[in-house]
Parts: sequence; C-alpha cells; structure tokens
Amino acid sequence: MTDPSVRDAMPREAVIVAEKICKEIISGGSRLSILDALDLRIDAGESVAILGRSGSGKTTLLSLLAGLDAPTRGEVFLAGQKLSALDEDGRAGLRAGRVGFVFQSFQLLAGLTALENVMLPAELAGLRDAEVRARDTLDQVGLAARVTHYPHQLSGGEQQRVALARAFAAGPAILFADEPTGNLDVATGASIIEQLFAMNRSRGTTLVLVTHDQQLAARCARTVTLEAGKLIERGGLAAASSP
Amino acid sequence: MSTTSEPEPEPEPASASSGFKVLPVLSTRRAAARHAYATVRRGLRSGDLRVLALALGIAAAVACGVGLFTDRVQSAMDRSAGDALGADAVIRSSTPLPADLRAQLRGIGMRTASTAEFPSVVTKVVTKVAANDVNKTVSSVDSEALANAAASATTDASTPGADSSSDASSGGDADLTQLSSIKAVEDGYPLRGQLLLSDEPFAPAHPASGVPPRGQAWVDAKLWTTFGLGNGAQLQVGSIALTVTAVIFDEPGRGSAFADFAPELLMNGADLDASGLIGPGSRVQYVEQLGASDAQLLAARKLELPRGMRLVTPKDARPELKQSLSRARQFLDIAVLMTLLLAAAAVALSARQYGLRMRDEIALLKSLGARRQFLLQSVLLQLGLLCLLAAGGGVLFGAVAQELLGRMVAPLLGVSLPWPSALPIAISFLVIALMLAGFALPPLFAALDAAPLRVLQRAVSSNSGARGGALAALAAVAALLWLQAGEVRLAVYIAIGATLAAAVLALLAWLLVRLLQPLRRRSGVAWRFGLGNLVRRGPDTVAQTVALGVALLSLLLVTVVREDLLNTWRGRLPADTPNQFLINIQPEQRAPLAAFFAQNGYANVPLLPLVRAHLTAINHKPVSAASFEDPETKRWINREFNLSWTDQFGSDNQIVAGQLFTAADAGKPLLSVEQDAAKRLKLKLGDTLDFDVAGQTYSLTVHDLRSVHWDSFKPNFFMMTPPGVLDAPATAMRAAAPVQWIGSFYLPKDAALEGGTASAASAPASASAPASPSPTAPTLARAPTAAHTVESADAAARGNPGTTASLAADAGAGSDAGEHRRRLLRELTRQFPNVTVFDLDAALGQVRGIVDRVINALELVLLSTLVAGLVVMLAVIEGSRAERVRETGVLRALGASSRIVLQGLLAEYAVLGLLSGSVAAIAAQGIAWVLAVQVFDLPYGPRPLLLIGGALAGCVIVTFSGWLSLRRVLQAAPRTVLAGGN
Repeated sequence: MTDPSVRDAMPREAVIVAEKICKEIISGGSRLSILDALDLRIDAGESVAILGRSGSGKTTLLSLLAGLDAPTRGEVFLAGQKLSALDEDGRAGLRAGRVGFVFQSFQLLAGLTALENVMLPAELAGLRDAEVRARDTLDQVGLAARVTHYPHQLSGGEQQRVALARAFAAGPAILFADEPTGNLDVATGASIIEQLFAMNRSRGTTLVLVTHDQQLAARCARTVTLEAGKLIERGGLAAASSP
Repeated sequence: MSTTSEPEPEPEPASASSGFKVLPVLSTRRAAARHAYATVRRGLRSGDLRVLALALGIAAAVACGVGLFTDRVQSAMDRSAGDALGADAVIRSSTPLPADLRAQLRGIGMRTASTAEFPSVVTKVVTKVAANDVNKTVSSVDSEALANAAASATTDASTPGADSSSDASSGGDADLTQLSSIKAVEDGYPLRGQLLLSDEPFAPAHPASGVPPRGQAWVDAKLWTTFGLGNGAQLQVGSIALTVTAVIFDEPGRGSAFADFAPELLMNGADLDASGLIGPGSRVQYVEQLGASDAQLLAARKLELPRGMRLVTPKDARPELKQSLSRARQFLDIAVLMTLLLAAAAVALSARQYGLRMRDEIALLKSLGARRQFLLQSVLLQLGLLCLLAAGGGVLFGAVAQELLGRMVAPLLGVSLPWPSALPIAISFLVIALMLAGFALPPLFAALDAAPLRVLQRAVSSNSGARGGALAALAAVAALLWLQAGEVRLAVYIAIGATLAAAVLALLAWLLVRLLQPLRRRSGVAWRFGLGNLVRRGPDTVAQTVALGVALLSLLLVTVVREDLLNTWRGRLPADTPNQFLINIQPEQRAPLAAFFAQNGYANVPLLPLVRAHLTAINHKPVSAASFEDPETKRWINREFNLSWTDQFGSDNQIVAGQLFTAADAGKPLLSVEQDAAKRLKLKLGDTLDFDVAGQTYSLTVHDLRSVHWDSFKPNFFMMTPPGVLDAPATAMRAAAPVQWIGSFYLPKDAALEGGTASAASAPASASAPASPSPTAPTLARAPTAAHTVESADAAARGNPGTTASLAADAGAGSDAGEHRRRLLRELTRQFPNVTVFDLDAALGQVRGIVDRVINALELVLLSTLVAGLVVMLAVIEGSRAERVRETGVLRALGASSRIVLQGLLAEYAVLGLLSGSVAAIAAQGIAWVLAVQVFDLPYGPRPLLLIGGALAGCVIVTFSGWLSLRRVLQAAPRTVLAGGN
C-alpha cells in the first residue's frame, strides 16, 4: 500500500474532468440554471467533498460527473472517456466495474439477497470471482453472517454497509457517495463513515463525496463548495487533518 | 393542493375564529368537488389513478361488450332456431286457419303465410297428355314412412285417375309416378330463413326471390333425379300440370318426421283449388307461419285457438334445442362471470394501491384542518367521476368492440347478429357500481382513517376497516354472482367452484414459486434479478399466476382440451366407421342393392332387419303414455319401437343381467333390452312385453339386459329378439311381420373410388367394417324412435334425400372425391328412389352447428377473460412501477446495459408466464383426465404437448404484455436513483 503523503506528491492522472458544464432545466415554463459553466478536475486517488446548501445542485453535479445524466452544455471526461461521445449504454459500460456508488437511501435491490446485491457490480463488470469478492467484502463490513438476508430483513445501518460492500466489491477506481449518512442516526452514520474511509484508504479509490456536513467534508483531502451554480475551491486543508 | 388556496364565499364560523383561511375552504361541498376533480385529473395525468380507471373501464367494457355480444349471439341462436321452423312461430292444424283468427293475428301486428302439406302422387308428363290419361299410384317400393303418410291421407280421393303403377326404380323415360310431399305456399313464404334453389341437383344454389309462380313447381333433388327431369319438364299434380323451373336446394322449416322423407314438390297455393287435390276427407296439415316479436307472441298465446290447433314456437318445436340454448347460456354466463371476477380483482388491487398512496395526502390534509366529511365527499366524488369517465368510456368501447367482433364473427357463425337490447348496458353500469362499492370504496375509506400524525411518522397506519372491506368485497362478489348467474343455486355452485379452483391454482403457483428459489443461484445476473423479483413478490406472483392461470385454463379447456378429447374419441372409432346410413330398404331390394354396391366397389354392405311395433302392454297390463310420468318415455310409448333380431351381438353390447341369446334360443319369444330403456320402462328380467306389429300381437319375455356403446356409430337397437320370432314365416293364423332393412357403409371423403384400383380395393374393406365379423352378427340398429344416431341424422336430413345429397355434394364440392360421392349418391337415389341415405358426417356436422356456435362465442368471451387476467397483472405491475423505475436506475448506475435490464424484465415475465401457463396446463390436464375417465370413458394419458404448449403460450402472452407495460421503465434515466426515496 502506497503511503498517502508519497502518493499525493506524485503527478497524478485526472480521472474526472468537467469542462464548463452547465445544467439547465425548464421549470414552470422558465429556464432554471443549476450549474453554470463549472470546471472541475479530480485526480486518481483523490478524495473530494462537494459541499453546498440544499438545492445548490450537489446531487446534479454528482450525477453529471458519474455519467448518470448529461449536461446541457460542456464536457465531462470520466476515466479518460468523453461522456458526451457515449450513449446511455456506453456510459453504463464505462461505469461497470470502474465506478462505485453509495447512496443516501442505500438503493439495494429488494429482490436480491445481501450477497447477490454485492455481487451485482462485479458480475456486471464480467468478473468471474464475483461471489468470492462479494463474500470477502461483506466480511470486511461485518456482515458475513447476513449474506442470505434480503434488504427488508436488515436494519438501516446494515443496509448501508451492504451498499458499502457493493460499492467496493468490484474494486472500482472511483467511488461516488451521495449523502451516505443522510438516512442514518448519528452513531450508525459515524460508523459507516469510518468504514467508508477505511476501505477507501486501503483500496486507493478516488472518492467523490457529496454532503452538506462540514465535518464529514473535512475528512476529504479536498473540498469544493457549490454556490449559485459555481464551484468555490476550498483547498486541501482537510488533507492534513484526515487520519 | 391547488384548490385549497381558492377563495370561498361563505367561510364557516369555526374557521373565522381559528384564523386559518384554509379550513372553511376545505369544509364546503364545492371545495370537495373541486378537490375531487383536481385529484382525479392529477391522478389520471400522473398515472396514480390510471390503472384504477383502466381496470374499471375494462370491467365495464368486458361486462358491456360481452353482455351485448352474448345477447346478440343468443338472439341469433333463437333466430336460427326460428329459421329451422321457417317462422317465429307456427300454428299447426288439420283444418285451414279460420279467417277471423288470421285477422286477429294480423291485428296484433303479425305477418302470416299459409302452407298446406299433404302427400300425393306426382306423375311425369312425357308428352302433353290429358290429365285423366296419366297413371298415378303409389309405388310398390315406397318407404314405410311414405306408406304411413299415404295411409293417413285419402290418396285415392285426392288423386283422381290413379289406377295403375309403374316401376319407379327403373329410371327409364317412361311415365313415372312418385308419391310426394306436396307443399302449397302463398306469398311471403318462408317468413324466416331462406329458400335456396339451384338450376339442377347439386348445382350452386341461389336464394329464391319468392314462391313458385302459378303454374310452376319447384322440386327437390330426389324427385328431379327420380324422374330424370330437366328445366321446363312437366309434372302432373292432381288435375293440373305444373312446369318444373328449379330444384329446392335447402328450405327452412322442413319437417323432421319420417313422413317428410318423401320427395317434395313446392307449388303456389293459388293453384291448389285447380289441382283438385284437396277434397272432403283429405288429411292435410295446415301450417300458418307467423312473423312476430316476442311481445306479439305473448299476445298470440292469449288468443283462444280452435280445438286441434297448436301454437308452436322454435323452442317448442325443438325441445332438445331449448336445452342446448339453456346450457349454452349457462356456459357463457360462467365465462362472463369469470371475466368480471378477474376484472374485479384488478379493480381491488389498483384501488388498494391508490388508497395506500392517498394516505399521505389525507394525513396532510387532516393536519391542515380538513374534516372527515370533506374528505369523504371528495373520495365519493372521485369515485363518481371515475365511474362516469371509466365506465362510460368502457361501455362505449365495449359496445364498439362487440360490434366489430360481431362483424368478424357473423360470417364465421354463418348467421347475422341482430341488434342487441339495452339491458346489457344497464347491467354493465350496475356491475361497475357494484365493483366500486365492493372493491374500491373499502381501501379508500381505510385511507380516510389515516392519522394526521402520519405527516411526522410515516409508519403510523391504521388497519381499521379491514373487516368491513372484506365483507363489502364478499357482498359485491355475491351480488355479481347472483346478477350474472341469475339464480342462487348456480351462483353458490360457481362461488364454491371458483374458490376451490383458485385455491388449487394458488397452491400450484406457490409450489412453483418455491421451486424457483434454487434456480436463482444457477443463473446469470439478469435472470437472477428477474427470478428474484418473482420470489420476493411471492404473494403478488401467486395472485398474478392464479389470475392469468384461470384465464389461460379457460382458454385451454375450450380450445385445446376439447379438441383433444374429441380427437381421442374419434381415434377410438375405426377410420372406416360407417358414415352413410340407408333406411327404408324393402326386402325385395336387398339383392339389387347388394349388386349395386358390388358394382361400385363395396363388396359387403351389411343389411339389418327392422320391424316397427307399438308397445301395448307390460306384464299384460295395457300401457299408454299416461302410464309414465317422464316426458321422454311418454314420447316413446306414443311412437313405434324398432325391433330387430340376432343371436350374435357385437362387442359394443355388454351384458348387464341375464345372458345374451345363443343359436339355441332361435324361435323363442325372448327379448333383449338395452339397460337405459329397461330403466325408463321399469323392466326387469322375466317381464313380458306385448307388441303390436301390423295388427299382430307378439308377447316377448325379457331375457337379458345389456349396455350399448352408442358412440360406436354402429346401428344398435333397444329391443332385440332371437331369429325366428319376428321373421317367422306366415301361417294361417298369423301374417308375416312387415320387415324393412337398414344398412350402413363407409363412403370415403378423400379418395376417389371409381376407376382407381387402389381406392377401389380399399372400398370393400371399408364397406364391411360397420358390420361385426359375422354377416349374421350385425343385426343391431338403433330404433329411429329414440336413436341418437338416426335421430340426429333425422334433423339434418329433414327427411329430404335431396338435402342429404346436397350436403354430401357441398362437403366435397370441387374435389374428385366430392364428385365420386355425388355420382354414387345420385345413382343410388335414382335406382332406389324409396331408399333414404343419411350422410352421417353431414348430419352430425349440422347437429354440431349450434354447439360450435356456442363454442366460438365462448372462445371469444374467454379471450376477454384473458384480457381481464392481463389487467390483473397490469394492476400488480403498476403497483410496483415506481420501484421498478428505481431498480432500473440502480442497475444502470452500477453499469448494467439496456440489454441486461431488458433481459431481467423479460426473464421475470417469461417465468411468470411459464408459471401461469404451467398452472393452467396442469389444471387443464387434470380436468381433461377426469372428464375423459369419469364422464366419457375414454383412455387418456399425460399430454406433454399440452403442458409445453400451455406453458409456452403463457410465456409469450405474459412476456409481451409485461414488456408492453414496462417498456418505458427501461428508458428510466439512471439519475432517478439519486432522486432519493427508498
């Protein structure tokens, strides 16, 4: 495992690049601008927190960076690929195995067991050892005994841990986390965050975290804040304080 | 809510004091109406109410469409029965209808047309000769039926100058005479149905434009062939000569008595007097045809008819048809009921989902100050609006659909469907009201109980009204059953049957769902996702499987299983089972007939003896119709029994009590009785029956009872004696019993016999098949008085040999085999004019006609049932649509391609369809087995193709429907996954 300080010092490859992206929606017959000519570069292995008030466009920005949505104008490059050059399936194929997600509302598939949920990204990436990886990851999050349980048989904290395991099981290069503790109580949320950062560290994944929680954002190496559709860079103050 | 902010003119005092302007708005009726309107509009736009509206609409469409369609089919069937009578009703009498009675009938709006039918001798005029030079007499070889008819008419009085005879079978050009059935008709005849004519026998037919003009006659194919007529030929009828201008191809209202087997001549009623055929003592049957509505018929029934006159409606005329129609209606009612129950399930499911979604809104409104009364008014108005929109639209759609369906089906059924009554539309609205009250109101009422606290704690819910909801649903089901079944007992039977069937199907479905569990581990991601959805939504899956299974089961039973059972039954019959029956063969015709068949490649056509007898006493006690209560037995006693003799029974006769005759019993006055006949006549071994045969009494002792497989298509008799009893030679004390012979043979439909050595070689074998191995054995022929076989044929042939030949010609038209059949039958008719040939294939085809119509209608109704089953599936799908959109988003976010998402969806519905189809096929297989073994006594084993076909059909139908309803879900953008919600 590379020392983080050494890794930070090395020239890095940009895994996410947003160039002058705009997102506008039509609401009540009028055009509403959510993101306005926004630029962002995130390097491999970086951990970036996107802060902002409710309605500031954090989740919209995350969906554009992950290729879940397309910008009105501008370009997004994910893992070196220009997303506008890809169709929906192309973007999905790009994400498969390379991108992991942790959602505020867990987003587990109710028809699948914990193990099957965790296996899903690895299977979609065509990894043959999907089950082994899934069992290992579930073991890491302390749910080895719950592999055959369905989501509705798990508590909120357990569901989010399954979601964490799912996010890391395929060994993604990039992890997007959208308010990962938003639906959890403080203690459970704190525990989940510990696991998230621990796993991120151990695997060297690029982390893009959307939150409105300043303390949580402070654990990332870099923080950017969304205000009026533009990003304000806060610098790497958190990097030093991160464990 | 947009409506809550609108101003209201009269605020309530409470609101004024509270200071909240929203309260008075919410507490008024107008506000409730606005809220209801806005909610329904929004619900329809967003889709929340769309499925409920669709379910209601489809229920209305099905109830209305099916109701109207069955009403029309029923009317068409009634009309078809009327066509068979040639009128809506007839008055039969032996005297002309009094003029005042006819005036009365016309006074109540009826149309009338008089006919007079009587037997008389017709003579072919070779050259123009004076009427009194023409020989006329009864042919010596006329059938017994004709003889009976002739005996009942004062033939000698009505045929002046009948003093000699000629050989009717010679077929030469000499003057010929033929006892015929004369029918004199007046303008307007027939009032219903169509009289079809052709230019020569077996030529294409065209409808008659009226009745024969004065001086002209139309004759049937038999008379035409017998006389070797041509267009313009002259026939002497009584004192006048009539010019033959057409052949009667088909005629509605032809009688079904054996006397009607006589060749027919149709003439203008205005020529009747001039013919001098009807005089004092003539026994003529007058038939007054009536064209009337039901109401007019009711009025006519109140008229006092003179003694000896009888009003006969189609149903009176055909009691067996009445029973068929009643059964048909019951089948259709059950099918409609199944459709409605499935539609009700769809309404209940979608209303429940809507109710659940409404709870949050109602809790919010309550928290804002809405009163229960306001909410209740709003909910009721919402349902009212839905009823108007959905049910109104559904009724309209149903009406249009049934019209289109009717136009497509009418040619198929061979009838034109009449305009329906308005009753089905009224019933449709009643059905929708019942569904709303029973299935939609309870979940919405339950939503009204949502606590305001729910705005803070979503988990807070109320289970109130669950019992009331169940009771309302039960009451609605009971009302629907009663409304559709029409009687309580049938409704109860259907309820029990439906519950049991649903329980069995649910159990099967549950077992199959359990079987899916281990399969998930062995499948790829898409299949695992699809199967996982099915397993997780276990109760929903079972409900969908049962709903679709019921629909598919109904279709399978009516289509595949019915055909399968029929084929099994047909398969049991040898390929050369006789399909042509000959009756009225006179003893002296046996040898010429055998020669005729030998010439045509049929070496051995077995002929069986037949003696007609009246049963006069049982155990020396005189019997009459009054001795028995059962109407069918009364009919037997009033008519003649057909007796025969044998000492060797075929394998289709099984002994039940006593012992079958042996050669040693020859000459003994014994009687072998079929067991059902014995039961009907309350006979036991040792009983003595007295029969009157042409004035001679035969006392016969019941020697044995036997069962008969009537469906063997071999001629069989109810009553048999040993040889040497009925055929004992005449003595000084007793004349020989009059015997006629019957025969049967197989006439291939698809192979030309003449000129082809191979086919000719096969024919003799075919001909001998109907007989038992020994030539003396097949002395079994079922009595026409009560025979299934012959009586069925009776309806088809209608005593018209021309019809028989026409049907045969029609069946094989355009083919060599058809030409062979035509030639053979034509020649047979020409050489043996008194012999009547039944084409049993054609006869059975006609008898099956009404059943086939019912089956066709039933199949169409059951297609509606399938649609209703699919709507249940749609209701369940709609309930999970939001979740499916989210899951699709998750899959996309995690990198799944459209193909994988689509595969998962298709996998889910393919398996659901397989489950439904399998459940239906397994159930259909079980029902078919029970029917085959318990009811039809047929060997019936597993049908793998039924299982595979049923499962595949279910798979295709459900997968396609699932894809149709969820294809938009596939396009769900993955960003929805970040929109929140759990």
